[in-house]
Amino acid sequence: MSSFFRSRSVQMTILVVSFLLVFVPYFIPWGPLDWLSGKLMTIAAVTNAFTIVIAVYSQFRRSGRFINQRRKGWVYHIYLLALLAIMTLSGFILGQHGGAYEWLLLAVVTPLSSVIYGMLAFYMSSAGARAFRARSPQAALLLLAGFVVLLYQAPLTGAYFPGIEGAAVYLTDTFGMSVSRMFSISVSIGAIVLGVRMLTGKEVAFLGFGEGEE
Amino acid sequence: MTNALFTLPGFAEGRLIGLLLLILLFALTINFMGQAKLPYIRRVPALDAIEDAVGRSTEMGKPVVCSFGIGGFDYWTVAGLSILGYVAKICAETDTRLIVPTGGGSETYITREAAVDLVRNAYTAAGRPETFNEEDMPFLSGEQYAYTPGYVGILVRERPGATIMTGSHYSEAMNIAEMANGVDSITITAGCYTSNMAALACASDYIMLGEEQPAAGAYLSRDPAQMASIRVQDIYKFIAIGTILLGLVVVNFGSDIINRLLST
Repeated sequence: MSSFFRSRSVQMTILVVSFLLVFVPYFIPWGPLDWLSGKLMTIAAVTNAFTIVIAVYSQFRRSGRFINQRRKGWVYHIYLLALLAIMTLSGFILGQHGGAYEWLLLAVVTPLSSVIYGMLAFYMSSAGARAFRARSPQAALLLLAGFVVLLYQAPLTGAYFPGIEGAAVYLTDTFGMSVSRMFSISVSIGAIVLGVRMLTGKEVAFLGFGEGEE
Repeated sequence: MTNALFTLPGFAEGRLIGLLLLILLFALTINFMGQAKLPYIRRVPALDAIEDAVGRSTEMGKPVVCSFGIGGFDYWTVAGLSILGYVAKICAETDTRLIVPTGGGSETYITREAAVDLVRNAYTAAGRPETFNEEDMPFLSGEQYAYTPGYVGILVRERPGATIMTGSHYSEAMNIAEMANGVDSITITAGCYTSNMAALACASDYIMLGEEQPAAGAYLSRDPAQMASIRVQDIYKFIAIGTILLGLVVVNFGSDIINRLLST
């Protein structure tokens, strides 16, 4: 039975049927089809949530191998598994809200993530300081535009030079936005074309198949 | 919402034009995928830099770090994997150690497996299957901001000669690129995130901006399906530009025909 579901043709059929069930009701609204589409979305969301179980299982297997064979860095794998177990068990046993799980999430995981994100500002400053050189008229123009937008973002500058707002908003709402929209259009088309490649079986790596593999 | 220009009984109002454009896109893609003739794609400068950067690492006896992003199987990841395959091929041929940090998102559990196969195949094709080491493709974390320090840690410990970031890297890209610069590694990146693209360009020695990355992926793989993507995107970009210009003209003449045509 499992080999039947692993075959490429069965997986492609499921893919095409799922696509049609979501695609068609968007253009042709019809009660039963809308209901089916909604059900399929729910099934997809539930299935997606279950992938985390597979991920945890894979991590335990991989780390277990590291620890058993005493490979380089095996101690860190004990640490990783211990934290994984503490987070999982505290969530299941003590509940998600108001208990140890919430404390671990809000007092440890979120602040650590925020620190990494906050460090971005320093990295951007150092990269900017290295790269912002007016070596040509074009580079000088770019530098000037960047400088105006940066000054506008700082609240104190806006208070002292209120005229800067008009220039900064013009730069971001015309040049910045037009480039950003062209980028979005292009990426969206690329994503749709990738979908066509997947539906026609030209892109099968996401199903776990290699080239020419059945 | 303006009234849609065309409506058909049974169809959702304002979605007919979208459907027709999609059908045209499907038809064009399938047609181009079947064509043996490959379109001309200009070589992206950052691609030449990849070869030089790997060569530099080989001469210095340092490893190469190459990642393919933190997303699932999306537009950017497919291109990133093509570039990873190219880097793995050069590394295998020149017997240079390749480190591929993986993770950063929950979907990378799936993409990682494809990347492992890709790199293993590159080493096998180069006649050096024994030099492939899966431990050089560590899974760092399913969380973006746990993946970042893991990646940065690899850069600090291994001091690579080249750091190549492809696929979909988001805010973590700046931390990684600057740290790569700090350890004197040639940094080649691909920007797919408009919010940090300018800063990433400052931090990198070479950058593939926006669509240059998928174009580079198509150029390297010579895959008709990827080439078809580039051709269809170009055609649709011209359609978009034409519609925008036409819209500008007719709006100035007081007509809302383009608004109604594209109304959803």
